[in-house]
Amino acid sequence: MSVRAVYGIVAREFVRFLRQRGRVLASIGRPFVWLVFAGGGFAAVFAGRNEIDYRVYMAPGLLGMVVMFGSLLAALSTVTDREAGVLRMVLVAPIRRSTVAFGKALGATLLGTAQAIVVAAILLPVVQLRPTLAGMLLGLVALVLSGLALGALGVVLAASIRSIENFAGVMNFVVFPMLFLSGALYPVRHLGPVLRAVAYVNPLAYGVDLLKHALLGRWAGAGYGGELSAPLDCVALVLFAIVGLAVAAPLLGREGGVTRAAFRDRR
Amino acid sequence: MTAAAIDARGLGKDFGAVRALDRLDLEIRDGEFFGLLGPNGAGKTTTVHLLATLLAPSRGTARVAGHDVGREGLAVRRSIGLVFQDTTLDRDLTVGENLRFAARLWSLPDRVARPRIDTLLRQFELGERWDDPVRTLSGGMRRAADIARGILHEPRILFLDEPTAGLDPRARRSLWEQIRALRAASGLTVLLTTHYVEEAEPCDRVAVLDHGRLVALGTPPELKQAVGATSLEEAFLAHTGHHLAETDGG
Repeated sequence: MSVRAVYGIVAREFVRFLRQRGRVLASIGRPFVWLVFAGGGFAAVFAGRNEIDYRVYMAPGLLGMVVMFGSLLAALSTVTDREAGVLRMVLVAPIRRSTVAFGKALGATLLGTAQAIVVAAILLPVVQLRPTLAGMLLGLVALVLSGLALGALGVVLAASIRSIENFAGVMNFVVFPMLFLSGALYPVRHLGPVLRAVAYVNPLAYGVDLLKHALLGRWAGAGYGGELSAPLDCVALVLFAIVGLAVAAPLLGREGGVTRAAFRDRR
Repeated sequence: MTAAAIDARGLGKDFGAVRALDRLDLEIRDGEFFGLLGPNGAGKTTTVHLLATLLAPSRGTARVAGHDVGREGLAVRRSIGLVFQDTTLDRDLTVGENLRFAARLWSLPDRVARPRIDTLLRQFELGERWDDPVRTLSGGMRRAADIARGILHEPRILFLDEPTAGLDPRARRSLWEQIRALRAASGLTVLLTTHYVEEAEPCDRVAVLDHGRLVALGTPPELKQAVGATSLEEAFLAHTGHHLAETDGG
């Protein structure tokens, strides 16, 4: 695998991200909008239970949300790469399709993780959550593995959807269900069997679970910590990443990196 | 040492029921300036994409720089440069950033890439535009930057797919100037696709494609002689039974 090519792909993702000021502000501001508006409302419903403040409970979920938006959106930018032609420059380079998929997913991972770290630095003091050193390290692992799994998923989605217009569909049918069924806002174990089964094919659920292990260990006894075992979460996330990349690589090179319709027009 | 730069045998591609390229036999010599002439939809871009390993052939084989396009994709891509019909540059990055990105994709270390990019940009009169976002460049400059991107890794074979599409006459002239200079300096093999007869005129040999089939192949004088034509335009009409310029643009 060409390390320099992967570095090039990752570096481009960062340059593009930092140049889009709106995207930077949205990624950092979004969790706080949820904290204030969703958190404020749910905290009132939650008020009867005094084991944990709802805003503390939702902190790991919000960090998971930041990684999800950060990684998934970065990986989905492969769609714009294809429409703008940049993907063809990448595909005609002497690197494997799997290297391209890995580079995109890694760029997405690092972007998502970096955004989550920035948000955590503000969010955790705000909700007065002070993780232990071990908790912080496990949290970092959770962010990186979630980013990789979601980045890989993003590349698969980007390689499968035809055009940028399908973004809204992705948001409605992938991003929001993934968020709600991740345990970010309420414990997965309270869901009915069908929804719970869906939650367990959701990479974000494992990421949020791992983040709860990292940050809510103190409340594990009261049932607010991670629901699965931490090693299981890690294994599941790694598997999602591997399967995602394996599926994405051949899809990326399909039709020479242009949509079939576009190709037919210019043949 | 006259190994074929490109050797296609019965190469073909279908898109569903559409036969984009039938069965192409083509041998292009090392250092040759070769033109693929045909109207839009003749199969020119399909041919280029098959030879560049961007598409998998439906039938036949091809060797590019001695490597099989089916089995040795990486080796093929290492030996070629490809300038697409539409720009592949990232409009949000600067000219320099785009070329540095390309250099990394081709695994060129920065210390090698930097002086090369410098030289190429000066050669293409883009020296002053290093830090300008690509979206601020004119069409001609963008194409020039695209060509610089295509030859940055010093390929043996350069594919130019309709390189002058959408350019004004002045930009076209300067582009041909640059391609001539490149060939003189490096002995590069160039495969040019075009639907402009006058652009095929300076080629060493020209293949005429029509409806996915090779209908004529030879030097421009040979093509004219074969049908008693005085111009390549007439020769095209005689070989295919219709005019070249039915449609225009990319």
